[in-house]
Amino acid sequence: MAVDMKMPILIVDDYKTMLRIVRNLLQKLGFTDIDEAMDGTDALAKLRDRNYGLVISDWNMQPMTGYELLQKVRADETLKSLPFVMVTAESKVENVVAARQAGVNNYIIKPFSAEVLKAKLKTVLGDF
Amino acid sequence: MAETGKLDLVERLTNECIDLCRSVLRGRKVLDPLLDPSFRTDRLNRAHDEQRTAIGEMELAVDRIMSAVEKIAEIDFSDVDAARRQTSACCDEIMEACCFQDITGQRLTFVTETLGEVGRSLDCLASGRPSAPSSAAPAGLLNGPALPGNGMEQDAADRLLAGGSK
Repeated sequence: MAVDMKMPILIVDDYKTMLRIVRNLLQKLGFTDIDEAMDGTDALAKLRDRNYGLVISDWNMQPMTGYELLQKVRADETLKSLPFVMVTAESKVENVVAARQAGVNNYIIKPFSAEVLKAKLKTVLGDF
Repeated sequence: MAETGKLDLVERLTNECIDLCRSVLRGRKVLDPLLDPSFRTDRLNRAHDEQRTAIGEMELAVDRIMSAVEKIAEIDFSDVDAARRQTSACCDEIMEACCFQDITGQRLTFVTETLGEVGRSLDCLASGRPSAPSSAAPAGLLNGPALPGNGMEQDAADRLLAGGSK
């Protein structure tokens, strides 16, 4: 099934530059409906308010980290199957293992290229 | 009389020496958190490495951005389609390079927090207040960006995520 390029996507990062970079790269890939949140708490409120097709989240944020957001999403009956991609500078083995155990769909280590983002999104969403 | 004067002098000097020793011991106690070997290795040395790495990353990013800008300046716009493709590739290059701001930001935050801790201890020393307890190291899974050679590459993370070994 073709990917709906109009599906709402939520990007979560506490660095405005990263939000702009990811937004620009997504727009370049053809996605048109992109929302932003500055931390896990903000993101969770938005996720409960709108039907998103994908979350792309940083890990290291306060007060709620991306990892905690992932855990809350997977524990929520209405959100648990939402595709979740972690984009983070956290590159220790324990981080990737913890994210996998928590149910992350893919894991991108910063700094990343446009090609890597595209390839990971294709893995998660299917070809587009 | 002269003997009494000498004794007074000795007593005064002794008391001053005792006060001096107490002040040194108080100062030492205030500086205890900074003198802890783990503070030196986990915070000061790491702050030094983070700062050095951040400077290197900024230099690389600026070099990448400048190279992309120079490429744009050299594009031949007589072939519009080719020029559009080349400009687009250069814009991607610039955007990717801008990722450095997040990573160096996290590194410099660590340096700032470490310097803040040293500053607080010196303030306590200067004002005679007891030292504040050292702030805890980042909790469990919050390590921040790895120093060169200490983190996983994307390929290794992919293998681990797929269920294999790193």
